[in-house]
Amino acid sequence: MPATQGLFESFDNLDQIPPEAIARWIKPAPQLVLLENYLANRILYPQALSLTEYDMRIDLAILREALRMHSPRPVAQRTNALLGDSPFLNVTLRKILIPKRFLNFVPDIASLTWAFVDAFLIERRKEDYFSDLWTLVLTDDSDEIIGSLILPQFNRLGEIKISLSGKSYQVKQGSALVLPCLANRCELSYKVQNGSVLGKAESAIEVYGGKLGLVIDGRSL
Amino acid sequence: MMKHFAPSAVRVEKDVVKRVIRKLKGKGQLNINVGQEVTPADIIGTSTVSAGFRTLNLAGSLGVAGPEAGKYLTRKIGQRIYQGELLAFKKNLLFGKKMIISPADGILDFLNEKSGELKIAFIPKKNELPAGVFGICEKVDHERGQAIIRTQVSLIHGLCGTGRLRDGTLHILGKKDGLIEKKMIQSDYQDHILAGGSLFYKETISAAISNGVCGIITGGINASDYKAMAGGRIVFPKKLDYDIGISVVLCEGFGSIPIGEDIFKILSEYEGKFVFIDGNNALINLPSTAGASLVKVRSTRLPDAADGNVSTDEKLRDISELKTGLFVRVLGNSYLGEQGKLIAVNGSPTLLPSGICAYLATIETKRRKIQVPVANLEVIR
Repeated sequence: MPATQGLFESFDNLDQIPPEAIARWIKPAPQLVLLENYLANRILYPQALSLTEYDMRIDLAILREALRMHSPRPVAQRTNALLGDSPFLNVTLRKILIPKRFLNFVPDIASLTWAFVDAFLIERRKEDYFSDLWTLVLTDDSDEIIGSLILPQFNRLGEIKISLSGKSYQVKQGSALVLPCLANRCELSYKVQNGSVLGKAESAIEVYGGKLGLVIDGRSL
Repeated sequence: MMKHFAPSAVRVEKDVVKRVIRKLKGKGQLNINVGQEVTPADIIGTSTVSAGFRTLNLAGSLGVAGPEAGKYLTRKIGQRIYQGELLAFKKNLLFGKKMIISPADGILDFLNEKSGELKIAFIPKKNELPAGVFGICEKVDHERGQAIIRTQVSLIHGLCGTGRLRDGTLHILGKKDGLIEKKMIQSDYQDHILAGGSLFYKETISAAISNGVCGIITGGINASDYKAMAGGRIVFPKKLDYDIGISVVLCEGFGSIPIGEDIFKILSEYEGKFVFIDGNNALINLPSTAGASLVKVRSTRLPDAADGNVSTDEKLRDISELKTGLFVRVLGNSYLGEQGKLIAVNGSPTLLPSGICAYLATIETKRRKIQVPVANLEVIR
């Protein structure tokens, strides 16, 4: 088989993803045998494009699991890699690195970003306050910042109120939102009920904006 | 006008001269010389196959202690016995008589005096090896019991597969798009290569192995079943060869996918004929049944190949420019395996329901016209 570019060409062990893991991202979940065959055909024909919206959802579910296999390991299992164990996450600089060529196969930049957030950060244990803020970067010959991800920490049922460019937004615990902010730097103020961002319940910060904007994810543990 | 390119593949090669390997089953003698011309019916070797043995718990069946079992045998150790003949007999005043019948043709090989277990060695079978093809012998390897014959074949290149090189009689099982169930595997399919169907179930493959089927040629198979036969991995190209007692070649992909028209057509022409299947290399050799093919075989010289290595063409897959009129095949998870004539490529990209913007090609298949992204096409050469 010739080596052909595709969404999953960066991943070696796609066949090791259990179909149950893919199914948990898709509602209604298809039969596992169909998912397993879908994945196998993706390995066999990596260059093929998804035609339907449902196929795209399956592709994104596979991508989430493929990324999870490349997520940074616990301290005890870490290798000596300089930038961390994952090519898609720079833990030191708090950057999520999304290859730009993935947009050829998943053009919706928000869906693609959510796949990365779900794969790397939704179940990630926060080690310090700085884990609340990540920069979203499209990587190519030159990198492009597309926005920021804010992960509020809630103690119990809470919510975050954000004021951005004169508009107010509200995100409750368990939900998520993308706020447009095309500027390079975006100033926002926030107030968190029963929780905090960057260690504070109320503050004003300046974060990176871009073609995606600000992603507020209140689903974190 | 924008040019579009797509991978191209050779799926069927007609009337090419190749080397095939004919190998004795078991130990024996090859009666063929280098340079000798052969026809399919020529016997080029004979061998004896030890068919194995069977162990009977004679003491347990007779209801006696192990050391006593021997005295109830009707034959001596070393003697021949045929299936259905009386093997052991015990008379008992209280419980009547007990008769043990031989379950197979064989020789009473060994009786364990302590446990009362009897080993019956099956009678070795004499096998004759026919040439199977019209060809010219290129090499005889008496040590390995194999001969390499240059012959004319039609080659089918499958996508992937598993299992070593085997040969047998080709049998088309139903339609090219049917599901092949266990009940369709009959006992008289021993030494056959079964083809057809869009999906062979796991139970069907197990039944085929039990019935001595040599090979399976199918459009699709479930990925989990393929993994079970290929070392637990779905990796292309495969790094290791595997064999589970049957050779399987997939022609289209995973799931229920009918065998492509191009492959099914040539397979149908070979119904009931002698063919080779090489699962690990996803190759099917269909030897020419015309004696006239010897003319081409005589005049064709093949490059030297290593022992037992059938030469393979590395330029089977390439990139071709898409032009209307070409015969193409659809890849991916939608319309997978459908074949037809490329009748148009859109001049501008179209937004698909998946959100992807792509150039669409219109394909005219036998049943309908479909539009698929150019990236999902493969040119059939």
